[in-house]
Amino acid sequence: MLLEVKNLNAGYGYLQILRDVSLHIDKGEYVGIVGPNGAGKSTTMKTIAGLISPMSGTVIFNGEDITGLSASAVAKKGISFVSEEMNLFVNMTVQENLYMGAYTIKEKHLQKERLEFVFELFPRLAERRKQLAGTMSGGERKMLAIGRGMMSNPSLMLVDEPSFGLAPQLTTSVFASLEVLIKNGVTILLVEQNVTKTLAVTSRGYVLENGKIGLEGKSADLAEDSYVKKVFLGV
Amino acid sequence: MSKNYTSYILPWVKTAPGMSIVISIVVTVAATIDAGPYLLVNMVVTGGMLALVATGLTLMLGVLNIPMFAHGEYFMIGSLIAYYIFTPISEFIFEHPESWLVTFGPFIAIIGALAGGAIAGAISEKLVFGPLRRRSTDNWVMNSFLLTVGLSVLLINLHQLIFGADFKGIVGYWQGMPISIADVYVSKDRVMAFIISAVIVALFYLFMTYTRTGMAIRAVSQDIIGAEIVGIDIEKIVLLTISLACALAGVAGGSLLFMYPSYPTVGLEPLYMAWFVVILSGLGNILGAVAGAFMVALLKVITMEYVGAGWDFVVPSALIMFILIFKPSGIFGSDVRGVLDK
Repeated sequence: MLLEVKNLNAGYGYLQILRDVSLHIDKGEYVGIVGPNGAGKSTTMKTIAGLISPMSGTVIFNGEDITGLSASAVAKKGISFVSEEMNLFVNMTVQENLYMGAYTIKEKHLQKERLEFVFELFPRLAERRKQLAGTMSGGERKMLAIGRGMMSNPSLMLVDEPSFGLAPQLTTSVFASLEVLIKNGVTILLVEQNVTKTLAVTSRGYVLENGKIGLEGKSADLAEDSYVKKVFLGV
Repeated sequence: MSKNYTSYILPWVKTAPGMSIVISIVVTVAATIDAGPYLLVNMVVTGGMLALVATGLTLMLGVLNIPMFAHGEYFMIGSLIAYYIFTPISEFIFEHPESWLVTFGPFIAIIGALAGGAIAGAISEKLVFGPLRRRSTDNWVMNSFLLTVGLSVLLINLHQLIFGADFKGIVGYWQGMPISIADVYVSKDRVMAFIISAVIVALFYLFMTYTRTGMAIRAVSQDIIGAEIVGIDIEKIVLLTISLACALAGVAGGSLLFMYPSYPTVGLEPLYMAWFVVILSGLGNILGAVAGAFMVALLKVITMEYVGAGWDFVVPSALIMFILIFKPSGIFGSDVRGVLDK
């Protein structure tokens, strides 16, 4: 098991969002968390990434307890977080942003290799390597955020709302790029509001409601589930 | 070929940085022809010093969001350390005029000031800013501003208590005849002070642009969460940034000891001037801060020449207010939306 989250309780200040969330991901899996707004999807991601320290519960990654570590320590363990807001370095060029993504890699030649790899995945970024990240379009920024997340050669990628604020066509191309990553052997935990799309691409899914895991199972089964259909898909 | 150049230069001249740089150069040349080359020399030396203090200030403000009003005190600490290192050296030089210390003694004092500034900065992070950050980052700008003002008062009075309120100065670092540049005699100290500040600012710029750590500092200034999730250790970067910023102020104080003898409030003038620079040039832009430093130095020198020595704060601040009405983000302020705009 690559990542195991057990009975996680977390929130902001006195406000508790997550209640006893448990989930697990195996190596090479493509797992999705779906749920309505405010269910705690992003909070789950931020807690795993170390941006929020949990009230109780454990996060075990690669057999190692990483609960309550700082975000930079979690990144060094091999988890890379692509946040909803992307958190790009807007006054740096695309290439500099990508090199910062490889901050945990010290060897120069390995950084170069990763850069070549990311440029191969996203030729668009290679074209714009000298452009400032802040001057790019929404879709390109999303690509850059995902590319930056790839630079550290992570064993697990947490991708939060990749379709947020994007035009439908761009959403498709962002999902296509995640597909490529899966083919390259990366494990991905995806959080999305777009339930249909998520359940179509992922292999397994969790349904998060009011901070609790409501349902879990194979994505195909979830998509056929009468409850999911009624609540999320409006069928 | 020449057409190519003009097509690059003309649009640049119409932008705010281009216009202000061109106007500054024209004014400098005109004033130099009118009043004499010493004006240019004064501007360059003052500008070099201001560039050191202002880049430190820009760094504190851009990376850590601390409006630093105690920066002048690190200038003071630098000058104090340089004084106490250089006084015994100069006595030794007086007895042994052939010693290697004649040439290298001043460097020991200036490097001491640099190291002293860095250490003082690290101590203030550990004792003052770090504890505040761990307690709460709510209302951070206001709280850290108040802390820096308190720190400034504390350091000024500590200086007075321990070392006294008298002027602790030196006659000069390097002895010997002044150097003649274009018919003006410039003392060796002034030439060296400018060279030192130019070299340090250049090294600092290269460090920030090309090294991994320098890029990490910029990353933290642009998006702190982004910096955390790529694995940058924020605590380390913060400590390094504060020491660097304070070291820059310290080395400015040390290398200008011959002009500004050390006394408790010696740092206030460089502090205010550096704030002029930062406000004028916009935040978080090192090259902008350097260019702004020379512009403020020019304003100051010209005011002293043509208006009167007592007006050297009035005219620059009035002009800066005027410029800010038209360009609120500063002349070199970035057009890209940054973290501060959110």
